[in-house]
Amino acid sequence: MKKILATFAIVLCFVGTALAQDELSFERKQAIDSLALEKVRDLSKYIKIAGSKDTPFSEANRVIDRAEELFMSDAEIGVSSLSSNQITYYRVRKYFEHLMRLNYDRVEIEWYNIEYVSDLQRQPDGTYVGVITIFQTFRGYDAEGNLVYKDTTKKDITVYVKRKETQIGGRTIGFWDVLLGDMRVKETTNR
Amino acid sequence: MKNSIKTVIMVLLAVFITIGGTTSCKSKKQLAKEAAEAEYKSRVEQAVKDLNAILDDETLWTLEEKEARVQTIKDWNLQNAEVDDLLFQVEKKLARERAQKEEEERNKNEQQETQAMNVTLESSFNSIARAGSLSQSNRIINETLGLFESKNVPVLIIINQSAGFNDYDRPTTIENYLNYIKDQKKATEKVYDIKYNANGKINELELIKK
Repeated sequence: MKKILATFAIVLCFVGTALAQDELSFERKQAIDSLALEKVRDLSKYIKIAGSKDTPFSEANRVIDRAEELFMSDAEIGVSSLSSNQITYYRVRKYFEHLMRLNYDRVEIEWYNIEYVSDLQRQPDGTYVGVITIFQTFRGYDAEGNLVYKDTTKKDITVYVKRKETQIGGRTIGFWDVLLGDMRVKETTNR
Repeated sequence: MKNSIKTVIMVLLAVFITIGGTTSCKSKKQLAKEAAEAEYKSRVEQAVKDLNAILDDETLWTLEEKEARVQTIKDWNLQNAEVDDLLFQVEKKLARERAQKEEEERNKNEQQETQAMNVTLESSFNSIARAGSLSQSNRIINETLGLFESKNVPVLIIINQSAGFNDYDRPTTIENYLNYIKDQKKATEKVYDIKYNANGKINELELIKK
């Protein structure tokens, strides 16, 4: 009986230690929450740069490369319009190419109210998954500078945060890899 | 008779002069010898006193003053066993102090150089973020890249430090990082650590979120 109890205690110790290692401190969790939000804000800037008609082609291409790195390889971005109920989903590069080809002389894209709708939660494989919502206001202007189109879209972006390791300068660096998943259109209005 | 007296006087005078001169010479040599012995004794005492004071850290002399004192004592060439033993110990002690001082100076210089490089880099980051045009930011990026071994030098960004543990963002390259600052128009990291190659070019950069 004593042997069984001792074995049980040892097993409990190991399980407890393993669980403790999986649990992130509040401070560390907050850091990865902020990191994921920052990646979404970075994306908004890339969309703004690529969408601007003033951006040289080479710069836009460079920015698209950076934006692609933010996403999972198979991620899609939803595009909606007030003129149609249909939502079209593009792969990241296709989305940016579509954005650059829009038939306006000038476009303004603003993202705001970027926040978590579903906090990062640890999955069994160790990946943290959450959903961040954003509001995007799009304005398209003609050659005379008149506003010819405006909509506001609410979009949900799934974010995946996983701990990975890499070798740099002969040492192992553990880092948090934030990757964005699909960006789904939730609502489009003319506000 | 007169001549005999004269001769006797002359002989006596010669004898007195000879004896007197000899006695005087002997006394001068003796004095000189005694003086030399006294000086030697005094130097030995002084040397022992100074060397012990240096060994026991009981002087306010600088390292250079201590080294000069040791050199003076060595130049005296006292050939005294006690002094030689103390000299051996003091020279070992001063060699350690010299090595330590040089190490401290090297560290201080490295710190100053690192500090100067931190300021240079952070100033470049801010300039890129605040650049008024694409061409201006690209020019600063190219200038800044000149400080690095290559445009592919890894950049690590610490997002959090807790319990002696660093959490990093996904590593990037210096070229991508500088362009990131240009795109985002913000420099939210400061320099945490810099590694250089043998040519003094940066070959690894570690940043930390402000």
